[in-house]
Amino acid sequence: MASSSSSGLTFKLHPLVIVNISDHYTRVKSQLSLPPSLTSTSSAATSNNNNNNSNGGENNQNPPPRVYGCVIGVQRGRTVEIFNSFELIYDPSTRSLDRSFLEKKQELYKKVFPHFYVLGWYSTGSDAQESDMHFHKALMDINESPLYVLLNPAINPAQKDLPVTIYESELHVIDGVPQLIFVRSSYLIETVEAERISVDHVAHLKPSGGSAATQLAAQLTGIHSAIKMLNSRIRVLHQYLVGMQKGDIPCESSVLRQVSSLLRRLPAIESEKFQDDFLMEYNDTLLITYLAMFTNCSSTMNELVDKFNTTYDRHSRRGGRTAFI
Amino acid sequence: MDSAIAQKTWELENNILTVETPDPSSDSIFYYDVAAQAKFQQEKPWANDPHYFKRVKISALALLKMVVHARSGGTIEVMGLMQGKTDGDAIIVMDAFALPVEGTETRVNAQADAYEYMVDYSQTNKQAGRLENVVGWYHSHPGYGCWLSGIDVSTQMLNQQFQEPFLAVVIDPTRTVSAGKVEIGAFRTYPEGYKPPDDPISEYQTIPLNKIEDFGVHCKQYYALDITYFKSSLDCHLLDLLWNKYWVNTLSSSPLLGNGDYVAGQISDLAEKLEQAENQLAHSRIGPLGPPRKKLQEESQLAKITRDSAKITLEQVHGLMSQVIKDILFNSVRQSSRSQNDQSGPEPMIET
Repeated sequence: MASSSSSGLTFKLHPLVIVNISDHYTRVKSQLSLPPSLTSTSSAATSNNNNNNSNGGENNQNPPPRVYGCVIGVQRGRTVEIFNSFELIYDPSTRSLDRSFLEKKQELYKKVFPHFYVLGWYSTGSDAQESDMHFHKALMDINESPLYVLLNPAINPAQKDLPVTIYESELHVIDGVPQLIFVRSSYLIETVEAERISVDHVAHLKPSGGSAATQLAAQLTGIHSAIKMLNSRIRVLHQYLVGMQKGDIPCESSVLRQVSSLLRRLPAIESEKFQDDFLMEYNDTLLITYLAMFTNCSSTMNELVDKFNTTYDRHSRRGGRTAFI
Repeated sequence: MDSAIAQKTWELENNILTVETPDPSSDSIFYYDVAAQAKFQQEKPWANDPHYFKRVKISALALLKMVVHARSGGTIEVMGLMQGKTDGDAIIVMDAFALPVEGTETRVNAQADAYEYMVDYSQTNKQAGRLENVVGWYHSHPGYGCWLSGIDVSTQMLNQQFQEPFLAVVIDPTRTVSAGKVEIGAFRTYPEGYKPPDDPISEYQTIPLNKIEDFGVHCKQYYALDITYFKSSLDCHLLDLLWNKYWVNTLSSSPLLGNGDYVAGQISDLAEKLEQAENQLAHSRIGPLGPPRKKLQEESQLAKITRDSAKITLEQVHGLMSQVIKDILFNSVRQSSRSQNDQSGPEPMIET
């Protein structure tokens, strides 16, 4: 069921969607299981109390709840960009989707984001299931080829990759019967500058304000970690290539071609015009620094003159110093 | 282990509180206790103390949504509402949603237009299992700082009379992008005629000349609350993993390109302020026996201008630094074979 997609569409996912889904899931989960701090004061049944006390806040008895929702965004040509998402009401036992709710929500979101439309739906879980196909088909009358975004909420510290997968549906002929099955697609994470800064802010809780030194440190730390990542990725590639050269790893020409094209893209830009523009930008920044320095100097000078005047003021009736000669 | 000592010093200087990674049991902040909230509403402990609420906790999701919405408005002010609950003297903001109104500074009660939207949205949310109530409103001040204007103050005072507990949040998306850190402020107004007991020290921020009067007249009528952020354990985990894909964006962002207009605006505003300061200074020179207090004002005016110019310069230099680093990383490779030792690339352009 999880072969790779052949539709050729590129998917771009915004981090807001991921945080949205995670928040939805956390809320539903915490609403279902009373936190232990509240069990003593709440008037829940004693059996519930015992249940939760023994679990220590984790919901081990019931499987984690699945949440469902809709993703919205824009499709431009072959690129599908998913910007936002909202919750939906779906009853898995009766397999009924609350249509009026969906339409209401769509209307509301259309007012604020007039360019976005429904691209698909999302859910939480570890893998796509057969029952999901029903939901998928239900959404097909809004969008002929909806996406299915699956988030795996299990926290696995050893995991290196985002537990988010995007599935598309394709019509495959299995045993002579054309059936819709889910196929996995790859995606990119796309972001705007403001989103990146707020994600960074929340993720790393950088110190805000403070002296110039701390700001500089924060800025450089960010760039440093990014470069460290780049370095580690290059090392991986390098080791892979060395292994291939030695013969430990079978030669794969497609990978080799990609690496070679990557290398040939360096240097990134090497034209006269770029150098000119770059140096001009550099000069502009130096000019601004110069100006700021000037302002600082004149301000200090001003203060000095005023202090001087106050101290050595000849007209002042307050005795003390005479003019300094 | 000099680096360890340096790190400890830095942490101490900046009061870095290491936030422990929240474990699943501490996600209790996400639980909405209907009974406790209703009780709190009835008790109204804020009615007696105008300074009752001191802190704000904003969830990662709410912050992300607000900043993205504010940025999408460009130079137009946008507004929206926040949902959440209260917790002692803290207001907790769990989520935010945008309102389809363009906030202009001339509308006193812009929310009147959006009431229908708000009611619809709240209803659908409650159906979908999101039980929180509206606890505040947010709007953006693109490019001119986080503070409450005259209209904002009157709107918020009205809100605090009829919709308590209510919070006002202001976001500046332009400064966020330019400075590389989130510019956000949370405020509550004092009731009419109430004099705050002491002057709270607020973080200085530069206000453009055309807005400075509005700021000055009303700045004593409200107070700022401390903002902290929280996220769930799953959010933590996802954000950590997100970094695996994100580092590309960090490296490739070019703040200088995106903010050219804004910086130019800031500099011209600074030039005007300088002229104004100069005029004031010239006037005071005419009377050499002018009261010393006036001189102090001009001095602090000039000092403020200096601080502003330093801030602008700093941001520019930061932007340039990332450009230079990128240039060295990606442009200094030559096609011909180079010896392993020759790693320096083009000569660095400045010797610092």
